Amino acid sequence: MRDLDSSALQGNGHAAAAWVHGLPLQGKGGRQPVRLRYPCSVLSGFILFLGLVALTVVVYRRAFSGYVRSPAGLAILHRGEAAFVEAVAEVLFPAGAGLAVPGVDAQLPHYIDRHLAALPRSQRAQIRLLFAAVEHLTLFVPGNEPGRRRRFSSLTAASRISILERLAEHPNGLLRLLFTALRSVFVLGYLGHPANLQGLGLAPFDIGTAVSDAELLFPRVGGLLSSIAFDEADRTSPEAEAPLDPQGPRHRAYAHAERTTRGRNLVDRRKRSRV
Amino acid sequence: MSTNAPESGDWLAAARERVRVFADYDHAFEEQADVVVVGSGPCGAVAAYELAAAGHDVILLEEGPPFTVRDFELDGNLSMTRTMREGGLRMTRGTTMPTMQAVALGGGSLVNSAICVRPPDSVFNRWATNFDLTRTDRAHLDPHFDAISEFLGIAPTPDEVQGRRNLLFREGCDAMGVSSEPISRNVKGCRGSGECFTGCRSRAKQSMDVSYIPAALRAGARVLSSLQVQQIRRSGRRVTGVSGQVVAPFSHGAKRGLSHRFRIDAKAVVLAAGCTATPILLQHSDDLANASGQVGANLQFHPGVAIAGVFPELVDPAFGATQGYQSLAFLDEGFKLETLWAPPPLISIRFPGLGEDLQARFAEMPNMAVFDAIASANRSLGRVKKRFRSLTPTLEWRLHPEDAAILRRALHVIAQILFAAGAEKILPGVTGLPDTMSRVEDAAILDSEAVQPGNLVMGGNHVFCTTRMHGDPTQGVVDEDGRCHDLENLYIADTGIFPQCPSVNPMLTGMALARRQALALSERL
Repeated sequence: MRDLDSSALQGNGHAAAAWVHGLPLQGKGGRQPVRLRYPCSVLSGFILFLGLVALTVVVYRRAFSGYVRSPAGLAILHRGEAAFVEAVAEVLFPAGAGLAVPGVDAQLPHYIDRHLAALPRSQRAQIRLLFAAVEHLTLFVPGNEPGRRRRFSSLTAASRISILERLAEHPNGLLRLLFTALRSVFVLGYLGHPANLQGLGLAPFDIGTAVSDAELLFPRVGGLLSSIAFDEADRTSPEAEAPLDPQGPRHRAYAHAERTTRGRNLVDRRKRSRV
Repeated sequence: MSTNAPESGDWLAAARERVRVFADYDHAFEEQADVVVVGSGPCGAVAAYELAAAGHDVILLEEGPPFTVRDFELDGNLSMTRTMREGGLRMTRGTTMPTMQAVALGGGSLVNSAICVRPPDSVFNRWATNFDLTRTDRAHLDPHFDAISEFLGIAPTPDEVQGRRNLLFREGCDAMGVSSEPISRNVKGCRGSGECFTGCRSRAKQSMDVSYIPAALRAGARVLSSLQVQQIRRSGRRVTGVSGQVVAPFSHGAKRGLSHRFRIDAKAVVLAAGCTATPILLQHSDDLANASGQVGANLQFHPGVAIAGVFPELVDPAFGATQGYQSLAFLDEGFKLETLWAPPPLISIRFPGLGEDLQARFAEMPNMAVFDAIASANRSLGRVKKRFRSLTPTLEWRLHPEDAAILRRALHVIAQILFAAGAEKILPGVTGLPDTMSRVEDAAILDSEAVQPGNLVMGGNHVFCTTRMHGDPTQGVVDEDGRCHDLENLYIADTGIFPQCPSVNPMLTGMALARRQALALSERL
C-alpha cells in the first residue's frame, strides 16, 4: 500500500477514495501523515460493499422482481406494470357490483397497452411514471398490514383499497390529483369495455356505412388514393334516413361482446356451482 | 353550392387528382400557388374555398390525415389519441385544465358538436370599443354569417333527435322561467347518435371534410394532407411561402414520423393552424409578425364546468343530439348554458369514489343527463410559448378569481335547472364538496366561497386571442382583414385573431371572419 501525497488528494472524490481504501493522508510538506477521521480497513470496505449489494438485492426484490409473467400480446407494458394494472383493476372495479364485466376480466392491461402505444412519448412516459409512483409508494407508506412494506400489487385487496382511499381523500391536493389521474386511466378502459357499455344500454348504435364526399375523395388513413373503394353511385344521404330508435340495435362489436361475456359468466357460475 | 348533390361530369376524378395523402409522398417536393392556406379547420377551409371559388390557385395544407367513416374509433379515449394533439392529454399550466386541439383534415369540425351561434351585439360592441375595430360588428358580419349558414345548412336541432336528456334541459329552464332554445348546428339529417365527438358515422354533420373542403376541390384548390409546416419564409416585408416536412399519421410530430421536406412558394400565406399552433409557427419563424409583442399573448379560453343529474326515470342518454339545447339567458352574467353528452367513459371520469360506489355511479348513467356552462373568462389570461426545437406549445394560463366566481354562479344555476327538471340527485364534481346533493337547497354551496378556484374541475376547448385583431398596430397582430400589421401578404384566419372571447361557441364567428378576409385578400391578389 503506497502513501498518497496531499497534492494528489484534491477534492472530496480523492478523499472518499482514500477513505474507502484506508489510506493515510499526508499533511503539507509531506512529512506528517494526516489520519482520516473515519479510517477503515479493506475488510470494512468489503463489508460495506456487501451491505450495499444486499441492500440492492432487497430493494430489487421488493420493487422489481417476482412479478408473474404478463399476459401475451402487450407491446408497451412490462410484466410489473401489467401486474399493477390488474391489481388496481381488481379493487377499483370489484366483481358483483352490477356491471357485466368485473375489473379483473376487463382486459385492462391490453386496453391500457393500446392506449399507451397510441400516445406521444411524453404523455406515455407520464402515465408510466404515474403507475410506477403508486406501485412503489407503498414501499415507503405501508398499507394496513402491520410490519410489511410491499409494493402495491403485492398487497392484499383490503390494503390496496385502503391505500387508494387514502390517496383519494388525502389533504394534499397533489396526491389527490395522483389518484384522480390514475382512476381516469382505468375508468376509460373499464367503462369503455364493449360488454359494460352494452349492458348499460350506452353502446354506440348500429349505423350503416355512410358514403359522403370524404369517402369519395380520400382513402382510409395510410392508404393510397387508388385504394378508394367508392364511386358516385355509392353515395348515401343522411337526410333520407329516419332518426335512430333509442331502443334500436347497437353496434355489432358491442352486442357480440355482451353475448360472449354473458355466456362466459354462465359457464363460470356453472363451474362454481359444481365445485 | 350543395356538396351532397351528385353532379354530372368527371368532377370526382379531377378532384382526386388534386388530393395528396401521406402514401403519395415519396420524395422532397416544391409547389407554387397564388395562396397557401395552412390548416384545414373551419376557418382555413372557408378561406381556401372562397379564394379558389374566386379563381385563385390555392393549396390547402393540413398536418393531420383525412378520416373516412371506417377510420372513426368508437372508443372515445382511443379516438382522442388519433384526432387530438398530444393524444388528447394537453393541459394548461398555472391553472391546470385539459384543452383539446384537433389534428385532422377538417380540424376541430370533425370532432366538435357542430354548434353554430352568432355572438350578440354586445360582444361586437365591446370589441369595437376596446380594440379600435370599425367593421367588425353584426351589420358587417351578418352577410358572411348568412352565406355560411346557407352553405352548411345551419338550423336549429329538431325535436325528434333531441332525445330525453336535451328535452330535460328545456323542461328545467321552463320550470325556472329561463329562456332556452334548440342549438343551431351545421348538420343535415342528424339521426341522434350522439357521436359528434368521435366523428359522425352518419355523415350528417357538415364537418369541413364533407363540406367546404370538397367544395374547394371542386373549385380547383389542391388539398395536401400530412404536411407539417415548420417555417414561414420571408423576404423583407413580404412572406414568400412555407416549408416543412411530411408527417406520418398519428405520429404526433415525433421525429421518427417526419420524412421528406417540402416547400411551397405563394403570393400570399393564410395561417389557419389554430390558436395554439399559429403563434408557435410565427415564433419559430424568427418571431415573425411580432413587432407588437402580442404573438402568443392574451391567451383566453371559455373554461367550462358541468354537472350530471340523476333522474328517477330512464333518460337513455346515448340517444339524441350531442349538444341539442342551450340557454343564452345568462350571457350578461358571463356564462352560457348547454346540454352535453360525450362517450360515456369520458363522462364518467368525473364520477367520485372507487369500488362498488364508483360502479353504482356507472349503473346510474342510463338515468343521467349532463348540463354544462362555458364562461366568458375575459380576465383570465395566459400565453402560448414555444419550446426548444419543438412545435408543441406550452400553454400558460391562470383562472382569475372573478371568472371563478362566474363559474361558481353557473354551477349553481345548472344545479337548479337539473332539480327543476326533476333530478333526484346531482353529482357536482367539485373537489371538497359532497359527492352528491339531493336537495336544491344543498346546491347553494356551489355559489359560495367554499368553492375555491382550485376546486373547480374545468375543461377549456375554445381558445382565443393569441394573435389578436386590433386597429392599433402596436396593440395587435392583425388588422380587421386578418392581415398582419408587419407584413404585406401574411394573413391569419383562426380564432387567435379574436380580440376577446366571444361568449358563445366560436366556430361560426371564426368562419365569418375568415370569409371576409378571403374576399378582401382575393381583391388584393
